[in-house]
Amino acid sequence: MTEAQERIRNFCVIAHVDHGKTTLSDRILETTGTVNARQMRDQMLDNMDLEREKGITIKARAVRMAWTVAGEPYELNLIDTPGHVDFNYEVSRSLAACEGAVLLVDVSQGIEAQTLANAYLAVEQGLEIIPVINKVDLPNVDLDLVREDLRKALGFRDDEILLTSGKSGLGVRELLDAVVARVPAPTGARAAPLRALIFDSHYDQFRGVVAHVRVVDGEVAVGDRIRLFATDKEADLLELGTFAPDPRTRDRLLTGEVGYLATGLKTVQDCRVGDTVTLAIRRALEPLPGYRPAKPMVFAGLYPQSSDDHPALKDALEKLKLNDASLIYEPEVSQALGFGFRCGFLGLLHLEIVQERLDREYGVDIIATAPSVEYRVLTTRGAEVAIDNPAMLPDLTTIEEIREPWMKVTIIVPTQHVGAVMELAQGKRSALAEMTYLDPTRAMLRYEMPLSEVIVDFYDQLKSRSQGYASLDYELEGYRAADVVLLDVLVAGQPVDALSTIVHRERAQHTGRALVSKLRELIPRQQFDVPIQAAIGGKVVARETVKALRKNVIAKCYGGDITRKRKLLEKQKAGKKRMKMVGQVEIPQEAFLAVLRTGEAPS
Amino acid sequence: MRGISLYVHIPFCAARCPYCDFATAPATSALRARYLDALVAEIAREGALLGRPRVRTIYVGGGTPSLLEPDEVGRLARALAEAFTVRPREVTVEANPATLDRARLEAWRAFGVTRLSLGAQSFSGRGLRALGRTHQPDDVAPAVDAGRSVGLRVSLDLIFGWPGQTPAEWRADLGAAISLGVDHLSCYPLELELTREDAVANWPGGGWPTLARWRAATAATQPDDRAIAVLYAMAHRHLARAGYRHYEIANWARPGSRSLHNAVYWRSGEWLGVGAGAHSHLAGARSHQPAALPAYIERVERALGRIADAAGDPAAEEAMLRLRLDTGIDIGRSAARWGTPASARIRGALVTSARRGLIRWSGERATLTPRGRILANEVFVRLLP
Ligand SMILES: Nc1nc2c(ncn2[C@@H]2O[C@H](COP(=O)(O)OP(=O)(O)O)[C@@H](O)[C@H]2O)c(=O)[nH]1
Ligand code: SF4
Repeated sequence: MTEAQERIRNFCVIAHVDHGKTTLSDRILETTGTVNARQMRDQMLDNMDLEREKGITIKARAVRMAWTVAGEPYELNLIDTPGHVDFNYEVSRSLAACEGAVLLVDVSQGIEAQTLANAYLAVEQGLEIIPVINKVDLPNVDLDLVREDLRKALGFRDDEILLTSGKSGLGVRELLDAVVARVPAPTGARAAPLRALIFDSHYDQFRGVVAHVRVVDGEVAVGDRIRLFATDKEADLLELGTFAPDPRTRDRLLTGEVGYLATGLKTVQDCRVGDTVTLAIRRALEPLPGYRPAKPMVFAGLYPQSSDDHPALKDALEKLKLNDASLIYEPEVSQALGFGFRCGFLGLLHLEIVQERLDREYGVDIIATAPSVEYRVLTTRGAEVAIDNPAMLPDLTTIEEIREPWMKVTIIVPTQHVGAVMELAQGKRSALAEMTYLDPTRAMLRYEMPLSEVIVDFYDQLKSRSQGYASLDYELEGYRAADVVLLDVLVAGQPVDALSTIVHRERAQHTGRALVSKLRELIPRQQFDVPIQAAIGGKVVARETVKALRKNVIAKCYGGDITRKRKLLEKQKAGKKRMKMVGQVEIPQEAFLAVLRTGEAPS
Repeated sequence: MRGISLYVHIPFCAARCPYCDFATAPATSALRARYLDALVAEIAREGALLGRPRVRTIYVGGGTPSLLEPDEVGRLARALAEAFTVRPREVTVEANPATLDRARLEAWRAFGVTRLSLGAQSFSGRGLRALGRTHQPDDVAPAVDAGRSVGLRVSLDLIFGWPGQTPAEWRADLGAAISLGVDHLSCYPLELELTREDAVANWPGGGWPTLARWRAATAATQPDDRAIAVLYAMAHRHLARAGYRHYEIANWARPGSRSLHNAVYWRSGEWLGVGAGAHSHLAGARSHQPAALPAYIERVERALGRIADAAGDPAAEEAMLRLRLDTGIDIGRSAARWGTPASARIRGALVTSARRGLIRWSGERATLTPRGRILANEVFVRLLP
């Protein structure tokens, strides 16, 4: 190993949202002199929009810093990790680019489920973990309780745990010293052919796809022709460099270093997170381990509000996909909603982000159907088909077995809410696998649960039943046989395919009733009675009627106050705009998501 | 100049009726004198700015204008005579039963009143209690007689759809109005606005929460839409048989007794509204004054003028207002004023509503069907751009 390589420390910060990662990272940048206080404010303003709005970090990136210990200079690379359960795989690739991780825990909150899951992941990948209790400037906090969490859950000794405050800057120097002392230098063979791990990539209008990489073996230089293992794409490097935190171009990146490669490729599909970069002329024999293509878990139909917008939606999805390798979509036709797309997402949050970007960045007004998981259907003829749209479920007589994805779910919750959480989980076809106490105040529950139950408002319910204190993490466990049926919805006698759902047989009747009564509330009264029915295999299991509208008039003329009247009408009009004509009936957008909310306790 | 219409707002009432959305204030308000000063000042200022136009109709509304003292009525009359060329064809004053004594009636006669609009609301004790009104059923007939005895035309307001009202009770109310032989009737379904209105600020201690609670409780026990639609159809039938023409969504008149002043609103004519919460439509622009008394007074004292309304869609507004009338709208004639895109839009919207049985066409003229009258918003909402 070269002297320079010995002085590199690659690390990341694992923390739950709001535990102070951003604040502490800014302090670290400031303390290492990477940016001064004024730049920091500017930079913070720049990043604020995206990150603050979403409350999470969507795109990981790395910052290179200098830090001196005992007169010796070191190169520190702080690699950012996405902070949401939907981006587990991206997190794992960021971790794979590091030798160490700072585990940051807010002293007033304690460790959260996702943080713990990521910490376990880091341990599995052999990272050196530095446990840090943050926000110690807060008054009336119980350090011992958090120490106990860290001891119990991850086996730390009290003397390994550092204390920091991103706010006051306390403990930041000690933390940096600890990174140098405890995190090992990157191993990796300088003389071997290039192998660099892509831990993030984004599309840039001027440079094409920019890959954020950690050079594991060998080195890479401007002008090199690179080759990507998974996609077999090749590209000539136009530019490479590091971030500090703005881009600094370099001639080459050496073994152990972290930086970016401007590939000129046109879409992130070609340059995927987890893939390995090597050189076209001097190829490595094997890619780095751990690559897997992005796998969508949650599916929903996206339809333009007005059919004129179909080309705009298609165009927007194409553009989004340039920058989001985990988004997949294909054309789909619904009798109720017309032409649209069936899209696959990593999870519910990913779906929300895409929906929001379609609205905000591309201005296409869409209707999303209720999210569904992917079912695997074994037919009587021995074939296996994947069904991601309930309406496409084959005829029941041809089905041998239906299998659905199950998740390993971890919940951390204050002990006084354990009962409420268990009650919630019970209604979700779950099996309790394990329950442990992290400390006298907090319990960790592990469940196995069908994903279809997780995506139907489980998270919201969990939060509300624990007064916001429970935290959640989940990962795929496998596929299991499911006793499910297709629940159809008929509005005014006409089946509305976009409202079909696959539900567990035992609960079909109950769900049918809840759905129909929800729809009765959501579908506004029309000029005629509108019957709403839920049916299984043609048999009606629930029925309600939206009574005809009899009166809608503003009778009084307020001394010629037309403005007031217009405002009232405009409100009604705005309501109508969000409606979709299905046959003769106007159905509001919310109705297509009603399926999501049938789990709510009857009020 | 063709002349304008004039609306004068007198906000004062003996008590606040809990369903009422108008700009009102207690008759004993400490601001009463300052309000009248402001009103007189506004009249003078507007008269001068508009070049002392001819006033063709006057409507003194409220509030309860009949509560004004004779000298206050006289002061108002003088202010108007100075500011405008007052040669009106119709002068209406709103009155509540049991407020019009001899002296006040004389003062209004001197003012030039030709028409009395009485807030009867119901002839049933149960109805008046359900509506929170303070007068008695027996107060209405004497008030009607008093007006007629001095040669005034009389209009009555009735409200239907109050909690517990039966069809029989409504028929009795209609019958009572018919047998009094009034010239004009306004029948409104009870509509309860549940969002806060500015005018509550004028009532010391009469806070919004109390009102909101009353309204929510009343709304919850009102007959349902279907029942209200039935009551509305009853009014149409009974009044038609008694010789009243259903000439606007909520208004009925004996031949020759339609309200000229209100017709100006419905035909998008020109009118000036003075006083708190009053609306104006002059030279194609809509404007208004604040409903809260202190805000109104301050505006006038600082000579700030009326507040311009956010521009609406004139074509849609005109179509909406005209459709309220039995004469409806002649789309061929209106098209010239609106331009092609707007008139094509209005026509398209009306065709859609016709398909739903809410509009009837005769040639280029569109009118609301009986079903369209009670579902008028369903028609109007489609007219908006
Ligand atoms: N008292 C205190 N508050 C902090 C500290 N660090 C962050 N915060 C506050 O905690 C909240 C979340 O901080 P942020 O850095 O955005 O958290 P992130 O979501 O993990 O990036 C903000 O309101 C910060 O002001 C700290 O050391 N002490
Ligand atoms: S008297 Fe008329 S204006 Fe006054 S509060 Fe009652 S309804 Fe409203």
